[in-house]
Order: sequence, then C-alpha cells, then structure tokens
Amino acid sequence: MTVWTPGDDGYADLTSHDAFANGVPHNTFSRLRCEDPLHWTEYADGQDFWSVTRHADIAEMNKNTAVFSSARGIRMEDQSYEEYLARRTFQETDPPEHSQTRMKLMKAFSRTTMAQYEEDIRQICVDILDDVLEKGTFDATKEIARQLPMRMLGRIVGLPDEDLPWLVEKGDALIANTDPDFTTHVLDKLDTDEFRMMPFNSPAGAELYAYAKELMEKKEKAGDTSGILNMILQPAKDGSVITDTEFRNFFCLVVAAGNDTTRYSIAAGIQAMCHQPELLGQMQEGGDIWDTAPDEIIRWATPAIYFRRTATQDHEMHGKTIRAGDKVLYWFASANRDEDVFDDPFRVNLARSPNRHLSFGQGGPHVCLGMWLARLEVRVLFQELAKRISAIEPAGPHRFLRSNFVGGIKELPVTVRMA
Amino acid sequence: MKVTWTLPGGDTRMAEIEAGISLMEAAVAHDVPGIIGECGGCLSCATCHVYVDDAWADKTGEAEEFEDAMLDIAAAERRPTSRLSCQIQAHPDLDGLVLHVPEE
Repeated sequence: MTVWTPGDDGYADLTSHDAFANGVPHNTFSRLRCEDPLHWTEYADGQDFWSVTRHADIAEMNKNTAVFSSARGIRMEDQSYEEYLARRTFQETDPPEHSQTRMKLMKAFSRTTMAQYEEDIRQICVDILDDVLEKGTFDATKEIARQLPMRMLGRIVGLPDEDLPWLVEKGDALIANTDPDFTTHVLDKLDTDEFRMMPFNSPAGAELYAYAKELMEKKEKAGDTSGILNMILQPAKDGSVITDTEFRNFFCLVVAAGNDTTRYSIAAGIQAMCHQPELLGQMQEGGDIWDTAPDEIIRWATPAIYFRRTATQDHEMHGKTIRAGDKVLYWFASANRDEDVFDDPFRVNLARSPNRHLSFGQGGPHVCLGMWLARLEVRVLFQELAKRISAIEPAGPHRFLRSNFVGGIKELPVTVRMA
Repeated sequence: MKVTWTLPGGDTRMAEIEAGISLMEAAVAHDVPGIIGECGGCLSCATCHVYVDDAWADKTGEAEEFEDAMLDIAAAERRPTSRLSCQIQAHPDLDGLVLHVPEE
C-alpha cells in the first residue's frame, strides 16, 4: 500500500484529533471509500455517526437538505438544544431560513464584488513577500499564509489594521480549539462546561463578542453603516431581524472561518511547491494555469475536513439504513482524493480541469460564501510568489494542526532562493 | 428532449437530455464551459446563469423571488432573458431549447 499519511495503518480513529496530527489519515479514507463507503463510526465522546467518504455520495446528499439537515449542528461533537441555539449561525440552518440570511450577504461576497479587491490583494501580497522573502529561511504559514487573509479581513469587514493580530489570535483560539498551540482551552480535554454557550465552546468567543459590540457602537456613533456587519443587521425579505446572539456568532464565524481556511490553502500550496518542484516553473510560465491552479491548490488543502448533517427521516443507502436522528459526516477531505473522480488524486496538477473538488462544500446551499475571495487570494499570492523566487524547498518537517475538523499545516519551515 | 447551448465564441454544444433534470445538471453532465453550478441547484451561487433564447423565453417562464435576487449577483450582465439554469427543468415542451452562455 502506498503510504500517504505516516502513522495511519488504514484503521485510524476518525473521532480522534490525534489521528489527524500527521495530516488527514488518507490510508483510512482510501480503505473506507473502497470497502465501506457508508461507515458506522463509533464515537467514545458522544453519539456514534455515519461517515460518508465517496465523492459521488457526498455530492448527492449535500443537496438533499430535506433529508440531511444542518439545523441540528454541523460538527461531530454533540450539543444540547440550548447550546445549539446559543451558538448557531446561518451555517446551522436549512433553506428557506438559510436563504433569507444568505441573501443579505450574497452581493458583498459575489465574484464581481470580490474582483474589485484584486489590486488591494496584490499590494498586500507584495508587502508581505517583500518583507519576508529576503530572510531566506522562515515559517511560511506564519509569515505568508497567515498574513494575507488576516489583512484582507480588515478590508472586507472594515476593521482597523492594529486590531487584526489580536482578532486573528482569537479566531484561531476558536477554530483551532483542539490544538494546544492555539488555545489553553483544548476542547476534548476540557474539564469545565463554563463556555459551552459560547461560539465554538471557547472563552475567545466571549472576547470577540465584546469587541464586536464595541465596534458596532462606535460605527453607529460615527454614522457609519457600511460593511458586511451592517448588512447582516438589515431585516430579511420576510422582515425578520437577526438576534444579538446570532450577530455575535456571525462575527465569530467571519473572524474564524474566513481566515484560517484561506491560510491553510496557501500553506498547502506552498508545501506542494516544496515537494513537487515542477510547480514553480508551471506557475512562472503562467497563462491559462491561473484559471485552474487556485482550485487545485484548494482541493489539495481541503481546509474544512468534514461537515456534519443530521437525518430527518430514514434513508436507505449502500444496503444500510440511516435512521431519522442519526448524525452523518461528509468527509470532504476524503471526497477530494476519490480515485473515481480525480486522476492521480495524490498529486497536485495545476492544470486539472474539470476540478470537481468539494473544498467549498459545492453541491449544496451552504457552498462557501467566501469562495471567490479565497480563489482570488490564492491566485494572486502564488502569482506574486512565483515571480520572486527561483527555488523553494523544505527547511525541516512541517507540522499539522491537531484537529479532525480543520486541515492545516500550522508550521511550514521553508528556504527560498530569490529569482 | 434536445437542448443547444451557444458559447460566447459562437461554438455550440448539443445534447439529448432526460426530462426532469435541470438544465444546469444537464450542462454540467455535458461539460458545457461556463456553467458551473457550484451549489448544486440550491440558489446559493449564480454560477449557472444563462440567457434563454428569445424564441424560448415565454416557455421557460420567469425567475421566482430567490432566483431573481441571485441573478443580481451573477458575474455576467443581467438581461431580461437571464435565468439560472438550475431552475429550468427539462420537459418535452422544451424540446429544441436554445440557451446562450454569458461571457465571463
């Protein structure tokens, strides 16, 4: 057997964050896709669940929101109903409620709106790369990948530059809440339930909430009604208005989810350049490759490893019955390496087309709102990086986040030679 | 039913499709460039935007509320015949349908 993930014997415990600490356990997923595509997964810390690992199955189920609902939570971890209410965002809703909220934000995140940011993004990339490349050897996640989405967050949400490092630190504490490098409140090792009503069960949620509240008060005083935070506060078409709790959770979602996903896409792309040296040359040749490269890098990265749904009724599949109330996990990280869909899935092919990856949750209503921004940031960053270097190689082993939910290289030491 | 997509450069794609599926699904299944359908037909992305040929506009009908809002954020210019093709179902009455794929 080809070994894709060291330490994975093909039988990794998918409920264990440690099983993902050397990267996604692809040997296990590869076996499951082949032998047991709808796999009953035992979960010591909560309700057992179904693991869906094939691309075709996820694509089919993802659009079937009547049977597979988001409205009981989207994570593996179980929540009580009151925790769910306290922590929900529009990610945890189904159509038509989901569509109502989403419509308020669509325009702000549309492809055409995002395209207007291209020059801003390019300037930020130039600033970042000019600063760091001359060091020669550095941590590419920290010095490059983390920087761009963080600085763009400030532009999109309308936040002062000096607040951004603090905000991103808090965002990391939220979303990387299972990695001791990012939070002292490691989710699966908590002995307190003090924060269970906070976004991501994290004290950082409370701090972000306080920040958002103060920010909106300042904006109101100054008569500033611009930006996406004001958009979400507008009444929906049916007249409904977002509650304080929902607003707080939305803010946390923007700070957390909008940030680390693009960061880890960029990091994965840089890691790929280190291990497939031909990629740099292809990028330098440019041309049509930029139409396809961002999606391939984002497929390779798959920062959202899974999302969970809950069955609303019995459903037959692969000779088994998913019962109403059962948890179902769509393992996007597995679907994105599915041999039935991707030729040579364990290699980065920047010209891959079509590229039906599911990193953005394509095929369902929850398809990533920020996908056009993500693609644009990834394209511009790699365009600018490729212009400036003649070689890039690892300067030591890279380290993955300890999480079965967020797939990311948290430490990526590299050495570059300037062009 | 038979459907024809005309591409921005003037090329065309033709396909025989089954009744009941959406024109977005048909386009994706036949690799029609420019029709992506990122959200699988859930009215969340506007990446299956088409201009219905004038001769067919009456038969395909008008956009409903959510579709109408989504058309406003489509990447290409909106026209009176703009539709999201995920919201048009293949049907024997539409045999011979012609859809124009917008320029990027």
